[in-house]
Amino acid sequence: MQRSLTTAILVSFALIGSIFAISRVSLERDNLHQKEGIGLVMPSQVAQIIALEFKGLFADAIFSRAMTYYGGKLIRAEKLSEEEWDWIYRNMDTATDLDNYFLDPYYFGATNLAWGTNKVKEANLLLEKAFKYRDWDWTIPFYLGFNYFYFLQDNENAAFYLMESAKRGASGSLIPILAARLAYQGKRTENAIIFLQEIIRKTDDETLKKAYETRLNALKSILFLERAAAAYQERFKKQPENLDDLTAKNVIREIPKDPYGGKFYIDKDGSIKTTSELR
Amino acid sequence: MTAVWSVALITFKEGIKNRVIFGIFIIALLLFAATTVVITLFMRDIVKVAVDLSLSTVSFAGLLTLLFIGVNLFGKDLDKRTIYMVISRPISRSEYLLGKFLGIVLLALTVVVFLGLMSAVPVILSKRFYYYSEARFDWMIYFIAVIYIFIKLAVVSAVITLFASFTSNSFIALVLSLVTYIIGQSTEGVKLLMASKVEKIDVSPALSYMAEIAYYVFPNISAFDLKTQAAHGLSIGPSYIIWTSLYAVFYIVIALSIGVLAFRRREFP
Repeated sequence: MQRSLTTAILVSFALIGSIFAISRVSLERDNLHQKEGIGLVMPSQVAQIIALEFKGLFADAIFSRAMTYYGGKLIRAEKLSEEEWDWIYRNMDTATDLDNYFLDPYYFGATNLAWGTNKVKEANLLLEKAFKYRDWDWTIPFYLGFNYFYFLQDNENAAFYLMESAKRGASGSLIPILAARLAYQGKRTENAIIFLQEIIRKTDDETLKKAYETRLNALKSILFLERAAAAYQERFKKQPENLDDLTAKNVIREIPKDPYGGKFYIDKDGSIKTTSELR
Repeated sequence: MTAVWSVALITFKEGIKNRVIFGIFIIALLLFAATTVVITLFMRDIVKVAVDLSLSTVSFAGLLTLLFIGVNLFGKDLDKRTIYMVISRPISRSEYLLGKFLGIVLLALTVVVFLGLMSAVPVILSKRFYYYSEARFDWMIYFIAVIYIFIKLAVVSAVITLFASFTSNSFIALVLSLVTYIIGQSTEGVKLLMASKVEKIDVSPALSYMAEIAYYVFPNISAFDLKTQAAHGLSIGPSYIIWTSLYAVFYIVIALSIGVLAFRRREFP
């Protein structure tokens, strides 16, 4: 009797103690994680050999580790440093070396590297690898074409990849038309709006969708101002010096707001720019 | 032949009665269950991740069965001296060894059939959960990959038989088989790495020669790994199937022949 009582007391004491301790442990672990930072990326040649037959699983693990890291940063509303972006790129590169056909790292890397930071070159490297292996997937050349067109202003390559996308059976007749128009170097803003509308239609990720929509609204405002400036020029036979000219002369009622928080202005060459640089 | 078959059947029954196999099955089923949770963390290629996890689980469970149970089935007769009872009967040593091999192959077949069918469940669930329109998947290729897991396990069984035929205890046979499996998985990668001539790195000719020899001596197990093909629905040509199957058969015959030769000359303590 005495013995079992002692045991019961001991067990309940240890139980309470362990519950208390684990709550502290999770706090301590959190602190540790914040200081931990990014780890090492395994070179793909090494990873390929040590992964044995579980290369696909290795790719999944590497990808999800980087994605989780990025997600944690996003939730804490922290910005990623240059090294961290580089780390993410190298992780995506290794993951896709392990499984050349794995869409997620291509998609994740390409969209976030291009939109989240200025690593369009890296994003395109990933996409070109995907273009080579996923030779049935029309979305890959579509994204590539968009990056060339929108970020690099390279209409020639953009047109090439959009045509490829159309050849691979891109749904809808919009893309071939767009590709053709790009080849003739049409108006950038208008095309970008059509592109973005297409992308938004196909995106089910809410965060990405929001990013695209913000960009779309900004572009719509820019297109609106470009058209107003053109109307001004037609009416008064000279370029408006600033956007206030447009409202002063009643070409437009008010200047739209930049969703990125900047202010629109007319650059020296007559194009509409914003102080936020769409970032 | 009946002698071979009866040894095989006894070995199989002994293996299936082993409690470890239930542990392996439970781990595999838990991993299948975990698959359905893990896939929700991914973005688009969800079916691919499910296929990766499912097929890896089947393969892993098969390997565990062979290494923990298969190796022990050889060792038991020697450790417990029951081998005397067997070889005093009208059965040749080669028949005994072949029977043992067949028994553990049967064991591997049971594991692959059972878990291979079970592994389709998480894949079906993942397809219901989300199927990206540009993803590719084909059940036929999936089950070819499952069959190839069995072929790989048969080759590993032959390697285990070879090592068990001359080593004095089952632990050494286990270590040698495991090492052979790991080398067999990586020879192709190492050979490719040597051939790729990474810039500014000189590979000594002796080293690349050794890699070449290892490629021919050890079984090229990575040739039986079709998980990527299954995950992305990439087609596999008939010539690939013919040549890899022939390779497996030839390799098994070589390993068993050497094993039989060694076992015939062996002296029991």
